[in-house]
Amino acid sequence: MFEITPEIAATVLQGATLENFTDSGAAALAVGLAALATGYAQRGIGSAAVGAMAEDDSTFGKGLILTVLPETLVILALVVVFLV
Amino acid sequence: MSIGASNPEYVNARVRARRAALFTDEDYRKLIRMGPSGIARFMEETEYEREINALGARFSGVDLIEYALNRNLAKHFHDLLDWSEGRLYDLIARYLRKFDVWNVKTIIRGVYTDTPGEEIETDLIRAGEIDDSTIDRLLEVDTIEDAIETLNRTMFYEPLSDASEVYEDTGALVPLENALDRAFYENLLADLGRPQEGPEALYVEFLEAEIDFRNARNALRLARSGADLDPASYYIDGGVLFTQAELSRLVTDYDELVGHIADSSRYGDSLSQALSRLREAESLIQFEHALDAALLEYADTLSSSYPVSVSAVLSYILAKEREVENIRAIARGREVGLSETEIEEELVIL
Repeated sequence: MFEITPEIAATVLQGATLENFTDSGAAALAVGLAALATGYAQRGIGSAAVGAMAEDDSTFGKGLILTVLPETLVILALVVVFLV
Repeated sequence: MSIGASNPEYVNARVRARRAALFTDEDYRKLIRMGPSGIARFMEETEYEREINALGARFSGVDLIEYALNRNLAKHFHDLLDWSEGRLYDLIARYLRKFDVWNVKTIIRGVYTDTPGEEIETDLIRAGEIDDSTIDRLLEVDTIEDAIETLNRTMFYEPLSDASEVYEDTGALVPLENALDRAFYENLLADLGRPQEGPEALYVEFLEAEIDFRNARNALRLARSGADLDPASYYIDGGVLFTQAELSRLVTDYDELVGHIADSSRYGDSLSQALSRLREAESLIQFEHALDAALLEYADTLSSSYPVSVSAVLSYILAKEREVENIRAIARGREVGLSETEIEEELVIL
């Protein structure tokens, strides 16, 4: 996953100079990175939750809660959008 | 499949659920007081239900228990290979190939003694990497050369072909069986390298322990039997406890051999109980059980140091195998009328 990070950065920053990199641009980048991290965290938890559920149906509720916990990352990052 | 695309989280969640379903001490205490038919009934109410029901019409008593255990073991380990991907698959398959060795040995012995295929089939444990169609073809062969030819895409082909010349000269199965064992143990560690840290380092450490214990067991058996066999032909490379020269020297002196194991910094502490028992009880079986228990405990420690890795799977494999061995020991023990304490001595419970 991390190998592609420079390419993403290069694409995002195409033709960008420090003058036209605005506050809202920075906020968007912050939310985007937080969403990426959330996805990465949910990948592992989700696959473990599905595994546990396959063995025992009653773990559905717990699995769901644990899977959405990293969601708080991106929700808190959203606060940044209202700050700028 | 790429090396990066493995799914330890998924496999770990499933393995831990199944690990929790294994029999407890309490269950064993109940089983020890039952007869073979009682044990079969008890198993019917646990996760062995499907196997007992499927085989119940054809077999009864201890045979039923044993075939149901084998089939259940195969089902669980087959699942492990089914679930895992990438690097994790490689690490698990590496270890489960011991069932391939067991199956090929059983088939070769069957061919050697002209046993019909159906009778051999009940003794197989289909938990290894060789697929069912290959095993079915193996069950149909008439000569050992054909059997070796059928295996031509597996890692056992070359060592078996090399050994078959010796087999043809002597007519004994030992070279073939030895070749299979060696192929398994040598492939266990080959191309893994020696990672210094992380879960894979512990995995390697575990496999080294397995090889060391295997060497120790073979050496003790040779030392006990006093037979004039060349220990070098039984030596397995890759462990850290013995070198080949050391083993050849130690085989002649039983006390020194036990001393050597006790002095090793790696196992001396964890085996100290087993070693003192060995010195007193003078029973090889007790020592072998102690080795098994030590390996089991070792695997458990690994699985808690790196929770989401292959270690948890390894410790599950060992624990499941132990459970099957324990139930079999109880059933067999009851059948021949051993007392409860005698059976208890045969069990390995942590």
